[in-house]
Amino acid sequence: MRNFTEFRRGALAALLLSALLSTPVLAQRPGGPPPSGPAGQSVTGADIKGRAPVNKEILKVSLPKAQEATLSNGLRVVLLESHRVPTFSMQMVVMSGGLSDPSNHHGLAAFTATLLREGTQKRTSKDIAEQIDTLGGTLTANAGVSSFTSTVTTSGLVENLDQTLDLFADVVRNPKFPQEEVEKYKARQLQQLQFQRSIPQFLAAERFQRAIYGDHPAGMIVAPAESIKKTTSADLAKFHSTYYRPNNSMLTIVGDVTLREIMPKLERVFGDWQKADVPQTKIPSAPEQGAMRIQLIDRPGSVQTVLQLGNLGIERTNEDYFAVLVMNQILGGGPAARLFLNLREAKGYTYGAYSNFGGSKFRGTVISSSEVRTDVTEGAMKEFMYELKRIRDEKASPVELENAKRALVGSFALSLEQPNALLQNIVTQKLYDMPADYWDTYPQKVSAITAEDIQRVAQKYVDLGRLQVVAVGDASKARDVLAKYGTVEVYDAEGQPVTEKKPTQ
Amino acid sequence: MRLKQRFLTGLLLFALALTGSALAVPKERKVGVNFKETKLKNGLRVITVEDHSAPVIAISITYNVGSRNERQGRTGFAHLFEHMMFKGSQNVGTGEHFYLIFNNGGTMNGTTNEDRTNYFEALPANQLDLALFLEADRMRSLVISKENLDNQRNAVQEERRLGVDNQPYGQSGEVQQALIYDNFAYKHSVIGSMEDLNAASVEDVSEFFKMYYAPNNAVLTLVGDFKTADALKKIKQQFESIPRQSDPPPVDMAEPQQTAERRANVDDALARLPQVDIAFKAVPGNTADFYALQVLSAALQGGQSSRLYQALVKDKQLVTNVFGFMDEKRGPGALYTSATVRQGIKPADVEAAIYQEIERLKKEGIADWELQKAKNSTRRAFINNLQSSLSRAISIGQYTVYYNEPGLINTRLDKVSAVTKADVERVANKYLAPTNRTVVVTMPKAKGPAAAAAK
Repeated sequence: MRNFTEFRRGALAALLLSALLSTPVLAQRPGGPPPSGPAGQSVTGADIKGRAPVNKEILKVSLPKAQEATLSNGLRVVLLESHRVPTFSMQMVVMSGGLSDPSNHHGLAAFTATLLREGTQKRTSKDIAEQIDTLGGTLTANAGVSSFTSTVTTSGLVENLDQTLDLFADVVRNPKFPQEEVEKYKARQLQQLQFQRSIPQFLAAERFQRAIYGDHPAGMIVAPAESIKKTTSADLAKFHSTYYRPNNSMLTIVGDVTLREIMPKLERVFGDWQKADVPQTKIPSAPEQGAMRIQLIDRPGSVQTVLQLGNLGIERTNEDYFAVLVMNQILGGGPAARLFLNLREAKGYTYGAYSNFGGSKFRGTVISSSEVRTDVTEGAMKEFMYELKRIRDEKASPVELENAKRALVGSFALSLEQPNALLQNIVTQKLYDMPADYWDTYPQKVSAITAEDIQRVAQKYVDLGRLQVVAVGDASKARDVLAKYGTVEVYDAEGQPVTEKKPTQ
Repeated sequence: MRLKQRFLTGLLLFALALTGSALAVPKERKVGVNFKETKLKNGLRVITVEDHSAPVIAISITYNVGSRNERQGRTGFAHLFEHMMFKGSQNVGTGEHFYLIFNNGGTMNGTTNEDRTNYFEALPANQLDLALFLEADRMRSLVISKENLDNQRNAVQEERRLGVDNQPYGQSGEVQQALIYDNFAYKHSVIGSMEDLNAASVEDVSEFFKMYYAPNNAVLTLVGDFKTADALKKIKQQFESIPRQSDPPPVDMAEPQQTAERRANVDDALARLPQVDIAFKAVPGNTADFYALQVLSAALQGGQSSRLYQALVKDKQLVTNVFGFMDEKRGPGALYTSATVRQGIKPADVEAAIYQEIERLKKEGIADWELQKAKNSTRRAFINNLQSSLSRAISIGQYTVYYNEPGLINTRLDKVSAVTKADVERVANKYLAPTNRTVVVTMPKAKGPAAAAAK
């Protein structure tokens, strides 16, 4: 049992890279109390005595740089050397994903990726499984229903690099999508949907995305059953041959290899991969936000209510990114943030409460969430609404602002031990065409954010008039509590509206 | 959830990080961890690993106490106590510990299992003093109040609801654990029952603290960017004056031989598909049979090439997924298998298909490639885990408390390498007997008369 959940700092922690920072805001205050906690400071949910010895300096960190090269057929290669241990990991990033699905076949990119492993021109599904496992490697492929990329990832031991690479290239380039394997996958996937619908967090996420995005591809979190059922081997082969092309891909590598050593190997397995014209994918905008809705999924037998509250947020490259980043850190970016300290530490309603935000080439969401025992659903809603209103109505205190910046910038040091996260940041910079010094200047951009910036973006993106509230739990108990905030729509686990009726006990 | 956690724990193998140049990559480059062991006057064991490859320090304090030390009527207490360790000490306010770690770019957590409790943090290297101060202050002077206990009792009960009571198959793991073991030490879950959590008192917390949270019952591991002599001096300053206590009483881990199959059915209102959970009681971790059972598990149920995946998911299409692992414990662990059954398939047919594969393995042993698979997969997972200072600190602490063997960080892969096909066949026949297994079948519970009629 863990004391704290594995909070979803993933996205943020991964961002925490780098660099030299020394700005007025974070500068030392000679003789003063530690910046993170003046003595006797009052923080809801925590008592900050300020006696522990905090080093006020933020450690200066310089980020390792990636090397780049191009194969004869135009395939871009990005390598981050890391010689800590004799392993490697590499990813083929194909610049087309769920957003390239035909509008009547959502999930096609996802099915294509998943089925790459199920057979090639010269290997059966079983051969692939046995070979990669015998090498001690991993091989996975993914695409989201609304992602703009598909990825094929392999990892392994450097002493098995050549063999792992052969297998990886075969799977990327020559999948056969055998009809028998396609049928087995479809049957398995339909059963898997049944399983997923028993998980309350799945039901909440599914309803929340629908509330924000409607018919936009991001309105789904998994492909619908109808899509699964109608998929054929020919559909998959077509998606693959259209989009899996060297001129539409980028190969990223991190690990105990050098560019000089690996380039000839890559040329050998990918050099004769044929280019082709790839159709442009139009990125659909997220729809305008609608009025506030409260949607409750009835899950009989639930002993907790899963609550998710949020709004439409920003694209990854939006100029408000850093202000939203710091706002989120203060609101619910971890156990030291307001939501956790209030709902868990002060009130004891939950094991954890967090906020999160994300965005890609279309607008993402800003979301707050928690799981609370059914009989404190009312109290939890009250505290969520209080915190969402507070982040809009009041300026963050100087201490909170400084803490958030120290947290975000300080953790760049830890990222140096996570080569995969470092590479992921480099990939992000490339996928979004950010400036080459994006991660080097990241700390300065975080440091420049003011309390006014935070309030401005809170008022813009935490829009209470258009807040989408989703709850999953025992409707017979949660319905009346939620009704205090507006009309409650009730659904079952399949997403069908439940008509008003006497709740069964 | 539980199963997955245990699975991850089981895979953690660990050891050292090198910053070497890779001009010529030797076949199977050795990785190792250079550690130094020191014992303070109060009995605190200190293990340090100096490594300047990244500006990071990681500390883990592993206390030799887990749910196996709990008594009847207080299940879940070791873990509830762990939560209390974040509620303040003489010089650190409630919540201030994690507040300071996160607000200075660090990460931290505490975890409890049957066999130990650990507390750890990783921070930028210039915050070594902070980490040592926070850990020493709570080892010396935990503040215990009714208000904080009630607050964390709530958090823990929500943790239980989140992971057990509000999830499909949540109770199945507890039912199985209670059935596998006869000895109370392992017979109950780490999270404990709601009733016992409610019964925990402030006096229980004080007693537990005095008995188990003493320097002579703990191991401090520090890994990262520091000078050893300097760090040891600071550790002594912070920790050496904390008084030693009498050694806690030993735990009786004796477990009688199982003589017949054990079985239970669970009706689960939250589940939509049946699930079959099977366990074969086996041996403690870090024994020759344990490593052989790990290899066996890789062949039987590790990944898509495994026998159970190929037979049950692909060929016969009986289940949506099947996975399992050899659980590592100080006392007798077990080999677990879990399968989610497709609609319209009888759980009994799934069980039969699993036993058929097990019988085949007992009779024919495993193939060369399966042995290679187990060794290579273990090696990759193990050495990848050596990359971060924090995972090295946690692993060394655990090896020391579990087996009194910090050097296992450097020898563990050799122990896996030593396993032969004959060993696997031998342990298959020794432990995978029908009389040695415990089976729990979870069925979706019909939702009232209407649902029953519709079926």
